Amino acid sequence: MTAIESEGRRAELLKRIGSSFGTEPRIAEDGTAWISVPAGDLGKYLALARDDGFDHCSAISVTDWPEEEAFELTYHLWSYAGRVLLTVKSRIDRRKATVDSAVPLWGPSAGIHERELHELFGVRFSGNPDLAPLFLESWDGPPPFRKDFDWRAYVRETFYEEDDPREQSYWD
Amino acid sequence: MSKATGTETTRESQHAADGFDLYFGPVHPGSGNFGVKLRLEGERVIAARADPGYLHRGFEKLMEYRTPMQNAVLSDRLCILESLNWNLVHAEAVDRLCGMEIPERARYIRVILAELSRIQSHIIWYGVLSKALGFDTGFKVAFGYRDYVLDLFEFVTGGRVYPAGYLCPGGVRRDFPQGAKKRIEDLLAKMVKMLREFEAYDSKTIAARCRGVGVLSLDEALRLGATGPVLRASGLAADVRRDAPYEIYDELDFEIPTREEGDAFARSIIRRREIEESIRIVRQALDRLPAEPLPPVKPKVAGRIPEGEVYVRNEIARGEAAVYMRSVGEDRPYRCKIRGPDLLHMIPVLEHLLVGAEVADVPAIYWSLNICPADMDR
Repeated sequence: MTAIESEGRRAELLKRIGSSFGTEPRIAEDGTAWISVPAGDLGKYLALARDDGFDHCSAISVTDWPEEEAFELTYHLWSYAGRVLLTVKSRIDRRKATVDSAVPLWGPSAGIHERELHELFGVRFSGNPDLAPLFLESWDGPPPFRKDFDWRAYVRETFYEEDDPREQSYWD
Repeated sequence: MSKATGTETTRESQHAADGFDLYFGPVHPGSGNFGVKLRLEGERVIAARADPGYLHRGFEKLMEYRTPMQNAVLSDRLCILESLNWNLVHAEAVDRLCGMEIPERARYIRVILAELSRIQSHIIWYGVLSKALGFDTGFKVAFGYRDYVLDLFEFVTGGRVYPAGYLCPGGVRRDFPQGAKKRIEDLLAKMVKMLREFEAYDSKTIAARCRGVGVLSLDEALRLGATGPVLRASGLAADVRRDAPYEIYDELDFEIPTREEGDAFARSIIRRREIEESIRIVRQALDRLPAEPLPPVKPKVAGRIPEGEVYVRNEIARGEAAVYMRSVGEDRPYRCKIRGPDLLHMIPVLEHLLVGAEVADVPAIYWSLNICPADMDR
């Protein structure tokens, strides 16, 4: 593919997203496309992106905003033919953190990211057949990557003795 | 162990008539910190369940507590086997958030070191695969050559395995030392000789054990999220360096090797071809390396990271690596999501390939994916 062909396909794909999503994505300086959608329609928009040719689910991530009681989900999607990186963002209620799984769209490649986010942030992906913990053993505390979980305090209280002079510095 | 896993079985059922459980890892030589639970029926694997978590250090959370220069050092540890490549992904994320101008010479140095790191990582893969196949000569030859690359890393960055954030936000930590160019040229000559040796072994051990083993079709590769050499061995010419060029890759001339077979042998050919391409890239970059010396690095990133978010992708030796960084204008990132190729290769892809395989083929499949538990667990 020459550079001109590649640029043509890219422009065409961006146009297609604009019309199927009903809104133009924001194009960042580095050429990546970003679009925010309401939580209720997330599944619908992700399916549109899949149909538009985003065949690779590069990653799914969660950003925690405890003060606003929100989780921001970001789906980073790549199109091998169109060579566009699209990030679909959506905010969901942190207290009822449940969304539809993207496994029907991207298969296990989306499923494994969801499995990780379920363990580390406590987001439930309904329809994902496998949300077993990946990393933590015998863990019954809160999901540890949430902003309101203080790692340092947890480690100090679990593993260090305040009255042990050698471990005093951890408590100062 | 209270971890809920799909194929968890009781001791009684291990000896049940319908199969036998075999734990492959987590202290298997060459793998380390990762295991797969296999269920066997005779010599055939009927179920496989990956068991990650032995190397989970919580990098994403650690980075929320640290400034970019501290995180640059931390990013070394994302994958022991290709620390310079991870350095670069992290540095680029911060660069883009801060809108930093990188000096031309620093961009060349970044690419030269990233490619040498790719070569070095592929050498480790060759050595470990050989070891797994009972081919000790290949292992020793490969690790012998790897040391030449490490000598160069030590000369340039100060560290053999961990460069301590040499490729840092804003460029590189310091300029090439006197004589670096000559030493890199000498190193490349050694790498060419090494490839010839690898080729000479081909028709024997590696081909005999890998051909037709662990076949991954293109559709399956896409569905399971394979990237990098694993995807290219199944027939798709996808490479971030060409599809979404970063640094100076759009100015360089190199090829993306692909194969159609999708088996363990195809994956091994791809990696060797990639070493050749990396040698080409380093030679071109050395030829065009701007002469003007770099000013000493001032760690000016000690200040605030402007508010914003980026998703930066790089092609590292194992596949697609990416960092999603979100900043709210503080001196440390608010969120740093790390996407490594091995979470995909070591869980969905590996589990898929092992089911139906002969137990004797497990090592060939396992190491043909060039796995790294450090980048999977993070």
